Amino acid sequence: MGAMTIEAMGLANLTHKVVVGIADMAVSNNATVTLATHALGSCIGVSVFDPVARVGGLLHYMLPVCSIDMAKAKSQPQMFGDSGIAALFRSAYDLGAQKHRMILCAAGGAQVMDASGVFNIGRRNYDILKQIAQEHGLKITGEHVGGTVSRTMYLQVGNGEVRIRISGQAEEIILCKQLKNS
Amino acid sequence: MQTIEEFISNAKALPPAPTFLARLMVLLNKPDTDSMKVVDLITYDPALTASVVRRCNSAYYGFVSPVDNVQEAVTRLGFWEIYRIVVMCSTTRMLSPAQKGYGMEANELWDHSVATALAAEQIAKDLGDDEAAAFTAGLLHDIGKVMLSQQLEDTYIKLLVEVEQNGSSLLEAERKFLGFDHANAGGHLLAHWKFPANLVAAVWFHHKPSLGKPHQRLASYVYLGNLIAHFMGHGYGGHALALKGRSEVLEILDIPVDRLPYYMIKTMEQIEAVRSIFNMKT
Repeated sequence: MGAMTIEAMGLANLTHKVVVGIADMAVSNNATVTLATHALGSCIGVSVFDPVARVGGLLHYMLPVCSIDMAKAKSQPQMFGDSGIAALFRSAYDLGAQKHRMILCAAGGAQVMDASGVFNIGRRNYDILKQIAQEHGLKITGEHVGGTVSRTMYLQVGNGEVRIRISGQAEEIILCKQLKNS
Repeated sequence: MQTIEEFISNAKALPPAPTFLARLMVLLNKPDTDSMKVVDLITYDPALTASVVRRCNSAYYGFVSPVDNVQEAVTRLGFWEIYRIVVMCSTTRMLSPAQKGYGMEANELWDHSVATALAAEQIAKDLGDDEAAAFTAGLLHDIGKVMLSQQLEDTYIKLLVEVEQNGSSLLEAERKFLGFDHANAGGHLLAHWKFPANLVAAVWFHHKPSLGKPHQRLASYVYLGNLIAHFMGHGYGGHALALKGRSEVLEILDIPVDRLPYYMIKTMEQIEAVRSIFNMKT
């Protein structure tokens, strides 16, 4: 007898949350998984989802480029935007995702009130994502970035829905709607 | 509108004074203090001693045979490591409760304070300054919020509206509705508790270090530590990052802004270590 699917076991509505910490990422093709990352201050959360392969991934990077610390870039590439985004896509490809189908969302990149722009790490974190997306012809489908708020980001792997919650607010904001046939 | 002095004298319940911490700070500021005197002070408090010994026996340190007492802990881990554990243990109870007036759940102020302390410590250490003072001031920098939180419970939403509609910082919004802010409230409180002048100034001016002379360097460590904690998501409530960027702190400390990412990475490593000892959030 072959292995039973989640659906056949009647467990399709059961979900479990996988928390992605700072400078970390997770990729899954398990329809019951919701990937979540908390407390995005100036960091950026990036989600990818392939609606055909039903593969989703979530990255929480802290700094824009890995040239800041090459040793860390090797041991923890998810800490940086450039090396982290590359690692996120590679891991999604390993599960069957394809670049041209990938739906991209982003949240975070908050800033302090700094007219001089000296402490603009949040902005630089966002800029590197925009630059990489442009270089690879990728569109950012939904985003909620900048401002002075801290955010939590969720990706439901089963249907591709991306939501965020702003710290201090109860209601969630949908960045990417779930698939119609999910 | 009342002044902060009137607020403190009229307050029905101030946070309980951390008498142990005040005594420790005074002891450390004396030139002839050695580690044995500090150990004696710690062991005078059985609950604190038990807490410190328990932390020293956490899996993080990986001792084969357990530590039995504070003197042994100092011998094995060094005075500085024990100092940090002691200061954190003695402030946990004060900083852990929810602060509803600032939209913070239980443990969120504690988490933010520890992240700030570790970042401030890393910067002071890198620049060859007093890392113990930077760590302690960082840990206590928002103590004023503990005092003001109850007062703000009905006003918090107005604070957020002020930030959203008028582009004010949270500090400016506090001043508008209270007449003073959590930074000078915290400074007053530490002075009331007889803490040393450098810690009072660092807490008082942690949002505008250039006014904290002659302790503007210490206030700058706390300012940057606070910023780093918020950048790394260790900050809570609505509009947690609605605070003013003060580029002059880089001139006070004579560091380039490019140094900040290095301090963020160092802070993250330290948070990982402390998290496993104190069960902090990731």
